[in-house]
Amino acid sequence: MLDFIISKYNYWIYIILMMIGFYAMIGKKNLVKKIIGINIFQTAIILFFISTAAKRGGTLPIIEHGHGHGAHAIEAASYVNPLPHVLMLTAIVVMVSTLGVALAIVIAIYRRYNTLEEDEILEKRKWSRNLLF
Amino acid sequence: MRVLALLTVILTGIILLYGTQDMPNWGDPNSPASMHVSPRYLERTLEETATPNAVTSVLADYRGYDTLGETTVIFTAGVSCILILRARRRQKKENA
Repeated sequence: MLDFIISKYNYWIYIILMMIGFYAMIGKKNLVKKIIGINIFQTAIILFFISTAAKRGGTLPIIEHGHGHGAHAIEAASYVNPLPHVLMLTAIVVMVSTLGVALAIVIAIYRRYNTLEEDEILEKRKWSRNLLF
Repeated sequence: MRVLALLTVILTGIILLYGTQDMPNWGDPNSPASMHVSPRYLERTLEETATPNAVTSVLADYRGYDTLGETTVIFTAGVSCILILRARRRQKKENA
């Protein structure tokens, strides 16, 4: 039982982090808090992927004695898996781009409605639609 | 509404926690993710790309087109930020 907890607890931490972000996304009314929730969610996913790269006894995926030591056998088991690191590098870039666009949209919404609360925005939209028709 | 959100979150969490039973152990060198394709990158990175850093060689050499697409993503995000923020300003000027 203890063995099971020790070998799986990292996933539980990411799931709890993901739940916090998910709750902020769907439970909060403030748009900036929603964006923070999206970021926490994405961070949890990134940590999850990075943890799949870990190998016990493995070091950074930089080949030791790389240049000027001639050809030598490279043991893949002594380096951590580089692919999740690469993919999460890409994911971080996408995360930053979506964060930028989301904040720009929030600024536009604030300029138009003078509020960031979702229910107040919906109320104002309903009101202006009744005014139009 | 808040209760519904909390319920959804807890339900998702329970499903995911249930799913972790089948995940590989933390730090397991024989996990599926590190068995199939990644040893090849580690073993051949020096001879194929002359880069000791495997992350760099995968990012900029093996997956160079992916990185090119990534720069397109950043460019699109930057352009859309500019467009969103400028369109509002012009509209305000017309109203005034």
